[in-house]
Amino acid sequence: MARLRILAGLTIAALVAFACGGTPGTGATASPSAVAATASPNADPIRVTLIGSFTGQNADLGNWMWNGVKLAVDEANAAGGVNGRKIDLIKYDDQGQPTIATDLAQRAISEKTVMVYGANLSTLSLAMIPILTAAKIPQITSGQAPALLQQNSPYIFIDSTTSVVFDQTLAKYVLNTMKINSIAMISNNGTYGKGEHDSFLAELTKAGVAPTADKVIAPDVKDFTAVLTEIRGTNPKVLFIGAEEVQSGLIAKQARSLGISATFVGAAPIGTPTFVQTAGVDVAEGSVMTSPYLSNDTNAKTKAFAAAYQKAFNSEAEFHGAKAYDGMSIFIQAMKKTPSDLSGPKLIEAVRSITYDGLLGQFKYDEVGLGLHATQIGILKAGKIVAQ
Amino acid sequence: MIYFLQTLVGGLGMGAVYALVAMGFSIVYRTMGLVNFAHADVVMIGAFLAATLFVTMHLPFAVAITLAVLLTAVIGLGMERILRPLESKDLNLMLIGTIGFGIMLQSVAIVIWGSFGIAVPTPIPNVPIDVGGVIVTTYQLFVLAVSGIVMLLLYVFLDRTKLGTAMQAAAMDRSAATAMGVNVATSNAIAFAIGSAIAAVAGALVGPLLYVNPTLGVYVGIKGFAAAILGGFGSIPGAIVGGLIFGLIEAFAAGPLSAYSELLTFVVFAVAMMVRQTGIFGERTVDRA
Repeated sequence: MARLRILAGLTIAALVAFACGGTPGTGATASPSAVAATASPNADPIRVTLIGSFTGQNADLGNWMWNGVKLAVDEANAAGGVNGRKIDLIKYDDQGQPTIATDLAQRAISEKTVMVYGANLSTLSLAMIPILTAAKIPQITSGQAPALLQQNSPYIFIDSTTSVVFDQTLAKYVLNTMKINSIAMISNNGTYGKGEHDSFLAELTKAGVAPTADKVIAPDVKDFTAVLTEIRGTNPKVLFIGAEEVQSGLIAKQARSLGISATFVGAAPIGTPTFVQTAGVDVAEGSVMTSPYLSNDTNAKTKAFAAAYQKAFNSEAEFHGAKAYDGMSIFIQAMKKTPSDLSGPKLIEAVRSITYDGLLGQFKYDEVGLGLHATQIGILKAGKIVAQ
Repeated sequence: MIYFLQTLVGGLGMGAVYALVAMGFSIVYRTMGLVNFAHADVVMIGAFLAATLFVTMHLPFAVAITLAVLLTAVIGLGMERILRPLESKDLNLMLIGTIGFGIMLQSVAIVIWGSFGIAVPTPIPNVPIDVGGVIVTTYQLFVLAVSGIVMLLLYVFLDRTKLGTAMQAAAMDRSAATAMGVNVATSNAIAFAIGSAIAAVAGALVGPLLYVNPTLGVYVGIKGFAAAILGGFGSIPGAIVGGLIFGLIEAFAAGPLSAYSELLTFVVFAVAMMVRQTGIFGERTVDRA
């Protein structure tokens, strides 16, 4: 008898699934999906795909993003999931390569993912946008390049804020608070570095300040003697660095060893432990950085997050994990708003309707996918960020 | 002028490292006519070993570099022993074997040290010395000095010892050398061990200059390989000159077109090779195909 009931249940479930698949996007789907929600409360889990760099020079970024997302998902699942449906989080390694990332995006689509978290590099996220937009799959990225928001796609979201917001805050601090306008710039021509370069330079230009030197390097170069020598010749008081963690650290280290005494300023990479280790604590001392997440001790929320993170991964929480935690939490809240229909158009509508007080500040997503509109300034002292 | 001299100093520092890597490629090639494609990854392993011993285990840098050199030499011996059966069949098979060995080394490095790397602090106080406006760091001098000593030792070994002479004989004519009582297998094994040991020196020295991670070999190895070709593949003086020139090309290319310095470096390299196909010291190559 019991077996018969299970069989009947399975048959109904199969029919419902078939009916849902057969009538996409019409008003008629409202009742069958409601049936699905009540008849099989924990039937099929919700697939969420994370695409990040777990090997190569940017593996730290990938792991931090994964930890933040995983923590948010685990907490949601422990609290009963989304209307009884568990979130099935899976991670793929893009190896920092755009071609691999796009391939993985295709794979995620074929595996019926409801959303993609990633990538942690702007270049890779940009490469995935056309594919995911065509499939109407929402994508939330840890990338920060302004170009991400210029793709005319309603399906892209960024989990912190862009270089423009970072560098507005930073340029104002250097010009108005530090009162320095002898500024040299070095940045790489990858998507992230170019975004940093353009936004910081735009702010300087707006204030009528011209940089003493404006040097662009390739993202994979590790020896900067030639450009740093030219920069040294202009004797700047501040050196703006627009590059990822390791390269920023190497630039700072080599600049000091060439006798450049300028204060290093830059966005979030300058505050990371990777930067401090690569440059050395002495070299990093006094560097000015900006980030929406300065430390784990900012408030009760960040303290609770840091404790949970420490417990789950046995490592110290930081900015990238925090913003990924915020980003995923917002999407989970959006899923809860529209549990019966997790299709892309419904999900992005729900995301835009939410005002969320997160670890980084208040999120409210606009049309182009920007949710957070302010950052804070910090200074490195003995390898730690001190809020200003 | 200051800019020129400063770039020259920077170029020589990296150039010395490329020269060491190129020497490792060349000693194996001149001894057995084989391009060891695992060499770049041996550099990376050497860098990781030295970084681990120095940073994680807090050994003095001199001890760390010595242990790394010895351990990496053993890896070189192991690689030659594993690939030896292929040598008598077809050298091309052995070449493919070295590619496989290189991939294996990279994977092993990821398993042991993880995909993220180690930032290595400079082992000696890195004081910038101002020489008439040109900044030379103590570590740059250290790199040049150590590289110079290694080059000298290799020269003495190959030209002044019986074993070194025997290896040269084996390289020139395998059967004749065998007839004269030279053990060619031993000769090959020593070439691999020395090549790997020099790779470890290069890796250990480059760690504090750059950043040690599993793809370090790709970055330094391809340039060392290009330097070896530029100098004349298989020639030891060629490797040294090729390495230094390559370092200088790279440093000067980074000035005017810094965003495309890699591109410019290899374009200059390609043009140089078109002008002189055999490289600078190119007459002395081994052909055992």
